Amino acid sequence: MRKLSLALTILGTTSLTVPAYAESHLQVVDKPVELTIHMHWPRAQGYMVPKSGEPYPVELEARKLTGVSLIDATAGRNSTDSNEAMNLLIAQGKMPDIVGGHLIQQPVNEYGPQGAFVPLNELVEEHAPNIAKFWEDHPGLKEAISAFDGNYYYIPYLPDGKYGRAWFIRQDWLDALGLEQPQDVDELYDVMVAFRDQDPNGNGLKDEIPYFARQWEEVNRLLTLWDARSSGSDTYHDFYVNDEGKLVHPYAQVAYRDALANVAKWYAEGLIDPEIFTRGSSSRDYLLSENLGGMTHDWFASTSGYNDALGDKIDGFNFIPFLPPASAGGVRMEEHRRIPIKPDGWAISHQAKDPVTVIKYFDFWFTEEGRLLSNFGVEGKTWDMVDGEPVYKPEVLNSDSPVNSQMYLEGAQIQRGYWQDYRYEWQWTSEAARKGIELYDTHDLLIDQFLGVALNKKEQAVFDRYWPSLRTYMLERQQAWILGSGDVQADWDDYTKTLDKMGYADVIEVLNTAYERQYN
Amino acid sequence: MSSDPDFTGPKTEELVIEAREAQRERKPSRMNRVGDHLKREWQLYAMLIPTILWLLIFLYKPMYGLQIAFKDYSIFRGVAGSPWIGFEHFDALFNNDQFLRALRNTIIISMYGLLFGFPMPILLALMFNEVLHKAFKNTAQTIVYLPHFISSVIIAGIVITAFSPSAGIVNTILGWFGMDSIYFLTKPEWFRPIFVGTGIWQEAGFQSIVYLAAIAGVSPTLYESAVVDGASRWQMMWKITIPSIMPTIIIMLIIRIGNMLEVSFEMIILLYQPATFETADVVNTFIYRQGIQGGQYDLAAAAGLFNAVVAFVLVMTANTISKRYSRTSLW
Repeated sequence: MRKLSLALTILGTTSLTVPAYAESHLQVVDKPVELTIHMHWPRAQGYMVPKSGEPYPVELEARKLTGVSLIDATAGRNSTDSNEAMNLLIAQGKMPDIVGGHLIQQPVNEYGPQGAFVPLNELVEEHAPNIAKFWEDHPGLKEAISAFDGNYYYIPYLPDGKYGRAWFIRQDWLDALGLEQPQDVDELYDVMVAFRDQDPNGNGLKDEIPYFARQWEEVNRLLTLWDARSSGSDTYHDFYVNDEGKLVHPYAQVAYRDALANVAKWYAEGLIDPEIFTRGSSSRDYLLSENLGGMTHDWFASTSGYNDALGDKIDGFNFIPFLPPASAGGVRMEEHRRIPIKPDGWAISHQAKDPVTVIKYFDFWFTEEGRLLSNFGVEGKTWDMVDGEPVYKPEVLNSDSPVNSQMYLEGAQIQRGYWQDYRYEWQWTSEAARKGIELYDTHDLLIDQFLGVALNKKEQAVFDRYWPSLRTYMLERQQAWILGSGDVQADWDDYTKTLDKMGYADVIEVLNTAYERQYN
Repeated sequence: MSSDPDFTGPKTEELVIEAREAQRERKPSRMNRVGDHLKREWQLYAMLIPTILWLLIFLYKPMYGLQIAFKDYSIFRGVAGSPWIGFEHFDALFNNDQFLRALRNTIIISMYGLLFGFPMPILLALMFNEVLHKAFKNTAQTIVYLPHFISSVIIAGIVITAFSPSAGIVNTILGWFGMDSIYFLTKPEWFRPIFVGTGIWQEAGFQSIVYLAAIAGVSPTLYESAVVDGASRWQMMWKITIPSIMPTIIIMLIIRIGNMLEVSFEMIILLYQPATFETADVVNTFIYRQGIQGGQYDLAAAAGLFNAVVAFVLVMTANTISKRYSRTSLW
């Protein structure tokens, strides 16, 4: 019955929306319409300027251009947890036209096939030429966001730009000790030993910490120096696609055994922060400002920022990106990169009165005007077109508050389904980070990422049954080995036997079945 | 008694029957009696209403949702619309070594907590009771209550810093005695002592309030006559104070046993590491990782239901034992 009425609405609206007269070529509807929206994300629990409750300036501009007004109907405003808000929305049974925000991929792909969301494949084909073109120009992405039934149910937030994290080193320490930037893993070892022993901070104490990280998981990036892997995506401990095109887990590979033995050795020798597991997110602040930390693996933009912040406090402070040292097998690899699709974006709920209008509205944000609006805010207010390039006004770039925070208040760069424009970020990237990005661009460092698979019900059941325990076991053993309680080489056979007993093979099997179905 | 040969008056049974009939005639009907009672004591019943509503809304109504422990639950289909699958989730739990380990850890950590944590507030209360200097007593009490009012996140931060191998006070002190510093929070064997110790430090002071109140309720005449009899303070504590507050201690113990599986898991999440899961992972953290983070609400509900059943059995047992041996009980 619902299908029939859906078909009727589609029929009805297509005949209606043949434009009799359109004010702008971007007009989505003849007569202004209102659509309701759920939009929950960490920085705002609702589709409006937080606190003031005013509509976003970007939204007002979009109203003018399209004739569509979005009315906020966000569930779970009192929580900052977007998952929780989504569950609340679905459980309450009454859904707005548009459901968007942070981390919607999993729920949308789970409940879409059950009927909670409208499949977008045909709607996009028929009514959204700009989105269709994006899919055409970026093969593989549409498949990556599809649910197990082969349909996709949301338009994602599509980040732009390649690099995320990079290797950083205290160039001034290298200079003080008369050392060069390490080019391979052996040189890296020598540099770290020198950092540990030769007092590069010159305080007479042996208190330097050669390698540290804000997230303890970053210790695993060192695995790539011995040709093992730590993750296949921008999530820690994720599966990756191996050379034979099969999905496997990095922590079940022989390369991991040998690489981890080396990491454990470095930890035992004091080359890795002894407190890496408990120091937590402030460790970068603390170890850099106390002039103790020598090297890390962290985000380009935020980590470069310390040069400005600490330049006055620490004489000569120079913490810069350097190329990933070549591994034992001779490969330079930067394992982390920006993922091309995010699990954030927006979807059409099964209660949407007019899905065609909604998809046309979604398509607006993929037009040239829509993309500029969603990235830079309202033209003339926050930016101007200079020689065909969008350029932020000086008061935006020189403001005390970061450009992204300003954009969130404008309604730009928020988690609707849109295609990010890297020119937005480049304009306020610090000089040090720009140099680093240019350096990384001179080599082919990045590797393809695993963008996830959609499991069907049976596969999901197998995965849920075994994976959480497997993951727990892997991490337990990993930390134990690094901390030196247990020897990875000696324990390896027991370890792999236990993985098998805990269902590793079953998990790999269902993942690969789903992977085949989705990507081949 | 009826066989007593010297008894001359009417038989006891007859007297009782007579009395009952007399009563029946005087009291109109059961309904009216309740009505009269309500009319007379309505203020008391009015005060009861909010609690009853609270029980119904927050404790009884959610029980409806417990059925998802036996269902393949989907939020979109709802509780009623999800298909039944029997004991599959329980089967999955009991075939999971990590669940069994979490269960064992829960019990061990609770036993530690009970063994070391339960007597502590009683000792504190007894000690405070013996302090004569008023200002000192007040200050000391305030200081031991304080940690209770600090959020767990802060407490965990304090603990992590205190036990840090480089800057922590504990390792600094070990250093004075020439001992190597220990990375406590990654050592499975240290997790339970640190966790239980933190719990005692945080809550013992506040929990002692109940016992202080009980001690304040002991009749002074008992102490006065003890003084007259020449009892020492030590004897008064053992012979008067402790026996007088025994019912309170036992009630607290029964409640504590009922909550035994409710280890304060937010504290564990803040303090544990994969390296210490072996001793630190409890049922609630297991539920959190497996169920809530993984979105398996049905499995989490099954684990929670199991937890509740065990807690119920524990309370019943403790209550029965206490009733039999000390004549104090919750009901």
